[in-house]
Amino acid sequence: MSSSSVASRKDEILAKKAKLAELKRQRELRQREFSSNRQILGDASELAQASPLRSRSTQQSREDIDSLIDSILPDQQAASGSRTPSGKSPAKRASAFEQAQDVVDTPVRKYQDAVTDTQTLSFAALTTVYEIPVETKPEVITYSKGVQTSEAWQSGDDGVVEGEGEADGGTRSPGRRRRRYLSERERELEEEAIRQRLRQEIEEELRALSLDESVDKDKERFPARSLAPEELNAVTSSNDFLDFIERSSKVIERALDEEYDVLADYAQQARSAEDDDEDAANYTGRKGRRIKEIASFDLTDPMGKKRMISALDFSPKFPELLCTAYTKSQASPHTPPGLLNIWNLHLKGRPEYSLHATSDLLSCLFHPHHPSLILGGTYSGQLCLWDTRARHHRTGEPVQRTPLTGGRTGHAHPIYSLAVVGTQNASSIITASTDGVVCAWSTDMLTLPQEYLELHAPLPAAYKTDDVAPTCLSFPAGDPTMFLAGTEQGAILPIHRYDRAGAKAGVDTRTSYLAHMAPVTALDFHPSRGKLDLGDLFVSSGMDWSIKLWRANPPSSTSTTISGQQEIVRPLLEIQREDTVYDVRWSPTKPAVFASVDGGGVLEVWDLNASTEVPVAAARPSCQGKDVFGGGGAGGGVRSLNKVVWEKGVGRHVAVGGLDGVTTVFEVGGELGGVGGGTTKSGEVGAGLRKLVGRQGRR
Amino acid sequence: MMQQPSPSAETESLLARLSQRPGVQSTLIISRDTGAIVRSSGLLTAEEIEADGAAPTANGTYLNGTDGEVKKKGTRNAEDVARLVWNFVRSAGNMIEELNGEHDEAKLLRIRTKKNELVVVPDAKFLLVVIHDTPPA
Repeated sequence: MSSSSVASRKDEILAKKAKLAELKRQRELRQREFSSNRQILGDASELAQASPLRSRSTQQSREDIDSLIDSILPDQQAASGSRTPSGKSPAKRASAFEQAQDVVDTPVRKYQDAVTDTQTLSFAALTTVYEIPVETKPEVITYSKGVQTSEAWQSGDDGVVEGEGEADGGTRSPGRRRRRYLSERERELEEEAIRQRLRQEIEEELRALSLDESVDKDKERFPARSLAPEELNAVTSSNDFLDFIERSSKVIERALDEEYDVLADYAQQARSAEDDDEDAANYTGRKGRRIKEIASFDLTDPMGKKRMISALDFSPKFPELLCTAYTKSQASPHTPPGLLNIWNLHLKGRPEYSLHATSDLLSCLFHPHHPSLILGGTYSGQLCLWDTRARHHRTGEPVQRTPLTGGRTGHAHPIYSLAVVGTQNASSIITASTDGVVCAWSTDMLTLPQEYLELHAPLPAAYKTDDVAPTCLSFPAGDPTMFLAGTEQGAILPIHRYDRAGAKAGVDTRTSYLAHMAPVTALDFHPSRGKLDLGDLFVSSGMDWSIKLWRANPPSSTSTTISGQQEIVRPLLEIQREDTVYDVRWSPTKPAVFASVDGGGVLEVWDLNASTEVPVAAARPSCQGKDVFGGGGAGGGVRSLNKVVWEKGVGRHVAVGGLDGVTTVFEVGGELGGVGGGTTKSGEVGAGLRKLVGRQGRR
Repeated sequence: MMQQPSPSAETESLLARLSQRPGVQSTLIISRDTGAIVRSSGLLTAEEIEADGAAPTANGTYLNGTDGEVKKKGTRNAEDVARLVWNFVRSAGNMIEELNGEHDEAKLLRIRTKKNELVVVPDAKFLLVVIHDTPPA
């Protein structure tokens, strides 16, 4: 840079300065607006998009200017003096200027990037006058709120300028500096306060905006556009809605039925402790032989009242589920004749599923290997199969049923007994009707029986006259090929499903169990769990007011004489009762325990180790006493219990049902049910039973 | 011939059973998409409020507490309950989605308060809400 040109340049620049004074003022106004926006709203997301670009371009332009100024200004201190006051409050400016004059220009550049500085920006005007306004304009519009900062920004400017002065250091007196510090600090505080205020305002505004939006949203949906009556009808009659109600109301009722209060605070309750004491007394007083009613399920009107319970079964998979089969309703002839309810111990008052059949149901069974399948035998001779997975279980129709034709394609007489034998992968359903026909079915196809067997009286002489009318059947635990059938004639007959060496399929003519003098009502093989094999024991009950314990001959036994005389097996034990015994079932877990129900409406639980003459516990359903069929009279009415069944897993629950159509579930004490936990080990109990059997057998 | 109760009658009886259970204060079925009230019991509906001319507040306090009519019909405004529950279920759904991913959803919501319990069954298209008394604890 040559010194001769300096003077002319100085003049030139001074002239330019003068010309630019006006422009500058305008621009400064704009810049102030812009920079205040930028600093204060810098954190607002909307601005964030614009600012990088902008700052980059300004930076660039500033660099340009810097280089330009570098070339011009080393000796332009005087000129800068004329420049600075232009947009500022002259008084302050003057004071700042005094010290800063000689050095002010060079440091200015250093500060340009740090803070948007009106002073430096005024330089930018030299080259970017047209560029910057164009860029800032949209932002100015967007942030019309970016508020009155003239005071603050002025002071901010001064602060910066003074900062510049400071930055180049040492020329100033300490007193002034202190003053400047003070004023600087004040200004900073002021600035900060204003920024804060602005920020708050903006945030509030934004919040209000979003609130408005959400309120609007709510208002769009709520107050819920109430549905017009037609719409409401359409919705409430849609299948979706019906299914939903079916499902969800069940869930809610289960939730409400949950007796245990999960929020129970035992520290605060004295009352429940008393109850517990009472319970404990019951337990100890009766040595775990207590029977306690825990649930009862009655028919509701829509299902049809006055039905009899004809069969009961607990689900093998879900211990809380049990199914109950009913005969036709005497009260409402329009309801389906056959009804099968699946009750849930956790859902009181309504069935989990309600299934229908076209004829009275006489037997029912959960399929032991397919938990969702339920089998039912009807009075008309149909075997029905329901599937709880079926999509339209609301109608309760069976998914499969056997044909009603006679001949060799199925039953034409009532099916009182059902059994499923086999294993998980190869099982078949055995049905027996009262005309002596036994069929075996595959679960997959009920249109044709896999096996068809007609039973005939064992003695050829009585072939034509004596029917074999099975009322109940039972398979021994380990043998799916032979079973026992109790008949209306009172005999219990061993029946082979297949031809074998020396004999045909059908009734085994060599052995019969004759002791009941009236129709046999129930028959149950010992479940034979445990170390000792008690699987050859079975109990039977009959209309001759008795319960009998038997030991079955091994099926391969050839103890008969060649003459074909049959061996007549006598029972090991006969227990006389005071009423017809309708059903008897072994406990699935306690070897010597079985339960029976009788015409007097009493559930009795027997423990052969404790007594062979009296039951160890008895109970009657609490709902008894009301007279179902209007018989009247003291102690009159029908309270007979038809069926009893044990829960299959742990054997703690016993369900009974009878003529009044009420299914009642009892819980038995630890000595009578449950796995282990009794006073003696099951092996010992089994041994006791074995001894008893041996004793009786020798007699 | 077999004659079953018509599906809607069956549904009616199910709902009636539910609302008549001891302890149940109110039931409400709302549409999951829009929050429109499909059915309610034990709650003040818009018409009833109009008829009454008094709008009870949503939190269960009733403005004219001496009014036997209000007491009988319920103490809450069905729309308020619907709105609150609907929003709650929606946010619960969001929570589940973020917690367990897209393929999970809330199946049952039980809210125990000091006063009562709210049981909500969210389903694909509807929500069933039951408000019932809880044993004093």
